[in-house]
Amino acid sequence: MKTTALFIIAIVIGLLLLNAALLGQAPLDPAKLLQLPTDMWPTYNGDYSGRHFSPLTKINSSNVSSLTLAWVYRANPGNGPAGGGGATSAQIKGTPLQINGVMYLTIPDHVWAVDARSGRELWHFSWRSKGGWHIGNRGAAVLRDTLYVETPDCNLIALNIKDGKERWHKEICDLEQFYYGSVAPTIVKNHVIVGVSGDDLDIPGYVESHDPETGELQWRWYTHPNPGDPEAKTWPSVEAMMHGGGMTWGPSTYDPELNLYYFGTGNPQPVIAGRGRVGDNLYTESIVALNPDTGKLAWYFQASPHDTHDWDAIEIPILFDGEINGVRRKLLAQASRNGWFFVLDRTNGKNIVSTEFVKTNWARGVDAKGQPIPDPKKEPQFDGALVSPNQGGGVNWPPPSFSPDTGLFYVNASRAFSVYYFYDTEDKPEGWGGNDRGGWSEGMLEAIDYKTGKVKWSHKWEGSGGIRSGLLSTAGNLLFAGDNASNLIAFNPKDGSILWHAGMHASLSNTPITYELDGTQYLVVGAGDTIYTFAMLAK
Amino acid sequence: MRYLLAISIGITAVSAYLAGQAGPSQRQAIDNAAATRGRAVYAQYCINCHGSNVKGGENGPDLIRSVVVLRDRLGADIGPAMKKLDGHPKDLTQAQVLDLSHFLHQRIEATSSNRNTNQPPNVLTGNVDAGKTYFNGAGKCSSCHSPTGDLAGIGTRLTPINLQQRFLFPTVARGGKTTEVTVTPSGGKAITGTLVRIDDFNVSLRDASGEYQTFRRGTNVKVDVRDPLAAHHELLDHYTDTDMHNIVRYLESLK
Repeated sequence: MKTTALFIIAIVIGLLLLNAALLGQAPLDPAKLLQLPTDMWPTYNGDYSGRHFSPLTKINSSNVSSLTLAWVYRANPGNGPAGGGGATSAQIKGTPLQINGVMYLTIPDHVWAVDARSGRELWHFSWRSKGGWHIGNRGAAVLRDTLYVETPDCNLIALNIKDGKERWHKEICDLEQFYYGSVAPTIVKNHVIVGVSGDDLDIPGYVESHDPETGELQWRWYTHPNPGDPEAKTWPSVEAMMHGGGMTWGPSTYDPELNLYYFGTGNPQPVIAGRGRVGDNLYTESIVALNPDTGKLAWYFQASPHDTHDWDAIEIPILFDGEINGVRRKLLAQASRNGWFFVLDRTNGKNIVSTEFVKTNWARGVDAKGQPIPDPKKEPQFDGALVSPNQGGGVNWPPPSFSPDTGLFYVNASRAFSVYYFYDTEDKPEGWGGNDRGGWSEGMLEAIDYKTGKVKWSHKWEGSGGIRSGLLSTAGNLLFAGDNASNLIAFNPKDGSILWHAGMHASLSNTPITYELDGTQYLVVGAGDTIYTFAMLAK
Repeated sequence: MRYLLAISIGITAVSAYLAGQAGPSQRQAIDNAAATRGRAVYAQYCINCHGSNVKGGENGPDLIRSVVVLRDRLGADIGPAMKKLDGHPKDLTQAQVLDLSHFLHQRIEATSSNRNTNQPPNVLTGNVDAGKTYFNGAGKCSSCHSPTGDLAGIGTRLTPINLQQRFLFPTVARGGKTTEVTVTPSGGKAITGTLVRIDDFNVSLRDASGEYQTFRRGTNVKVDVRDPLAAHHELLDHYTDTDMHNIVRYLESLK
């Protein structure tokens, strides 16, 4: 009798768990954040390493041509913006999450939960906005049963993943100072870490950590030194430093062993007219490592000292271990917007490789720290300076990918030119004080050998213009990318040969993800306002 | 009351206009006449400490970067702030404070949008003769262009900054040219036409008869695209900034 009762209870519990899984009500086990993504895609990057790499192999180079469309979902924010705020772009730039069979996707002011097997909408959350740039939302984060997302009007919102109801919201920046929110938060232990955006006025960047349960602020780290620090000497004055920009609008990575949190910082302010901020302007356009429990700086490496071209170094600092001169090292690699590829020792930030991944014309070599030395002649000029890359950069925000199988770093690169001018001739420019104009560019998908920084293979995209699509590599010997002609393409990551493609109604606007449910591997991409999901379905 | 209503309508109107821009949607609508009066108030009471450009000085902070000013609406914050702060005027009328608020917000709006300019910079800093030498020599421009042919009078048709942009970054459409493509299918005859679209998988052209044709690309299909601007793109790696300025000056002289 006792055995029968236990059996029945076990069945009931099992059915409840199954039901929860099917309805997407099962919370995210934090242990999943420390694993490679298989049955889930639980973070913006898939895992803490930022590789945008999947160990799944059911879709592979030998069968990828059998992929078919599984379902399509169109994100419809409704009639205009949510509330009285800014216009909402319906373009999906964020990388969706997939947790326990439910996909969570975002655009500014909106979050949707969608059945990851069928594309059926489960709930839609809409935020009444008070303004801010609605240029894009990079995605959400989930811890247990709560989803966290930033809004353009400077709020961090916590939603119940069961029904999309708000649990709390906290102001993370000052809309009145022209900050805005766009970043995908990162969960590290009991920290929800967020970055901020905004470069219309001269305001300082920072990252800050919030309590997952209450939303209370735990710590904040500004992207400038404290007055009196040795690094403060890279600014002409405390006032210039405290208004020196360095927004934190890119994705972050985390090494649990070292307990270090990595991200890149954005452009210094004023953006173009840099006459009033002579010096290297730390910690702008730098790769930095923080202790995620305290927000204390561990080390920094500056990708673009004293930049005047808007080349944010916010691209993903990808983590992997590799051999350098026969020695196993903990590495960090970034293909930066300024056209340079860097490999660092992520334990201490020491430089190992610095090289151009596209030809540029703004640097005079590298210094002893491996940092490019800017050529003053290629700073913006009143009558113009022809500069490569352009403001869009050698790369931009779309994520690159690193495959531990091939040892190659993949990036959708642009080779571009434009003319940079400064307009503000005062001794103390503010805001932008200039801009670049015009330009010509060409795009190519590159595979970079991290040991040397040399391009092993390059696929030139047809026509002119850079490409804005993220990348995904998999253990199935595949690399997925999008072109400017609305194609989703599978490459052989070893040699760049094309294996498969599918045409969509718009060009890929985010980064592919993949996951396996019920024995079926799905491939998911966003194109404009639409999610396309591919799989090999038996019937 | 009607005054407040008008202000409210003004704020609402500008909010709609500013939707999607930086900063809060509830912005202060700048009354330019009031801002002009506010400039006079500023000159009388504020300029000595906060500077002629509102960016601060030795005795006063930058007011464009002031959080108090950024949060102010119609003088509601800066009025009380001035009353509290030492060395600030205490006897400004409500109208003067309002005018001052419009002036300061006008400066903020101008700064936040100064990546754009209605006054292009002067790019005529080069040397005409050096530009002509480059045109006929190292640049090989004269192999395709002529100052008495296609470029005759170009200096009267384009502004200097547009001259600079157009010679550096010409476009097929703007130049009245087309990109020609020849597709040779396996075992078939070559077909030439104007390129309409190309990617890694298909190439589309419009042939001489006006017919639109698309070919699936493959290892057995030869595709030859002839970009008429290829020489311009290659030159981008070779121009010095001095070359660029000299060419602009020379082109501008072709009246």
